[in-house]
Amino acid sequence: MAQPLVPELLRAHLAELASRDQRADGRGQWEGRDLSVEVGILERAEGSARVQMGDTIVFCGIKFQLQTPYPDRPDEGGLMTSAELRPLAGRHIEPGPPSPESIEIGRVVDRGIRESGCIDTKDLCIIPGEKVWQVIIDCFAISDDGNLFDAFGLAAIAALHNSTLPGERFDVGEDRKLPVNKTPIMCSFQKVGGRFVYDSNREEEVGGDERIHITLGEGDHVHSLQKGLKGVFSASEFVEIMGAAKQRCSELRKIVDSL
Amino acid sequence: MGYGDVQMIDENGNRVDGRKAGDIRPIEIELGVVPVADGSASMRWGTNYVIASVYGPMEAHPRKIQRQERAVLDVRYNMAPFSTTDRFRPGFNRRSREISKVTSDALESVVLLELYPRSKIRVEIEVICAEAGTRCVGLTAASLALADAGIPMTDMVVSVASGKINGIVVCDLNKEEDNYGAADLPMGILPNSGELVFLQMDGDLSPSEFQEAWDYNMDAALGIHKLMKEAIENKYGGGQ
Repeated sequence: MAQPLVPELLRAHLAELASRDQRADGRGQWEGRDLSVEVGILERAEGSARVQMGDTIVFCGIKFQLQTPYPDRPDEGGLMTSAELRPLAGRHIEPGPPSPESIEIGRVVDRGIRESGCIDTKDLCIIPGEKVWQVIIDCFAISDDGNLFDAFGLAAIAALHNSTLPGERFDVGEDRKLPVNKTPIMCSFQKVGGRFVYDSNREEEVGGDERIHITLGEGDHVHSLQKGLKGVFSASEFVEIMGAAKQRCSELRKIVDSL
Repeated sequence: MGYGDVQMIDENGNRVDGRKAGDIRPIEIELGVVPVADGSASMRWGTNYVIASVYGPMEAHPRKIQRQERAVLDVRYNMAPFSTTDRFRPGFNRRSREISKVTSDALESVVLLELYPRSKIRVEIEVICAEAGTRCVGLTAASLALADAGIPMTDMVVSVASGKINGIVVCDLNKEEDNYGAADLPMGILPNSGELVFLQMDGDLSPSEFQEAWDYNMDAALGIHKLMKEAIENKYGGGQ
């Protein structure tokens, strides 16, 4: 949708605030919004989480299916992540097939989970060459006030930690807890008014430029990166946000691991 | 075990979850659950969990959908992928389309659309957790979300279904009962006038069974309406 005039006013406003080291909602540059994480809240999902960051609210539900393993990896299960941005969650979200934005979010969340190795796909094997579990991570936006990336990332790992493999329902053994060995955490930054900030809200997203998503695992290992939207950034800017990401990721990891 | 063989009601008339024939499942209503929307509501109804949000009235675009004399309603009913026991695959779905349409038809009958010419009101219904009767929960939650958005309506819509199990007519079937149910009669009722804006039925009901199911729905609707009014009064202060 074309938004020609007002965003320019918004951009000017955000730039003016940034020049005084301020943000529109009064937060500091690396400060996140109020956060709450709840797990085990959806009766039909084998694992679930609800994450609220300010007025951004998301659910994540974990479902399992049986599948035949790929011939080259006969003892490994599968992992799939999808992110749904339904028009329920905001007036800016159009109905229709998945938008490029929702596909991008799903894939970035997927990479963070997958590459961290928090799920050992060999743990998903039931009968080698015949039957393995597929883990499906469905991220679902309820209210989009910005930074769905981090909300989805957090909800996904929290829901995985809370999941049970439904062996009995599929008649392949007993129910057991899904083994999740690590806690990858995504932190997202966006350039707003000429400088990067953490956890941009919707207003900052509309009036901001490029964003950078960093997923860190144990020991600050980097598992996924994504630069999105138009804009350039320097190596020194990247070093700065990486420093902020390390600090925030370890704080968030403590929250998820304590659930 | 064959269809209809399972005993779902005991000799004392108690159903599998302990309810009597005319009882509905527990209901919890919350308004304003989607902070970025103009109005929103969630309903927990048994283990159903449905969220509805409303955006608008807003400019209707593209212009070809505009109506000179009234607003258009754009209603969507959808099931989240994790809302069902087996994952519900996202995408086009004939069932969801039909429910969206009949829900829209019901809401168009009460919303004072002529107050907002050339505009559009979006109503979004998402089933987060499905048990049985999601279309009824969706329609009821949508009318709550419209009220929360301050959109004038002639009445609320209360939707509830009755059905038949083991040859006995019961109100508001749960998932287990629904699996063995022999009939389903969902209705959308205007509690103040007793008129209907939504009606579907499938299965097999004798004339007397049909009347019984109809009466159960009418009675249940009044009880549900009380809960809806309470939720609205709790947020906005008492009316009338």
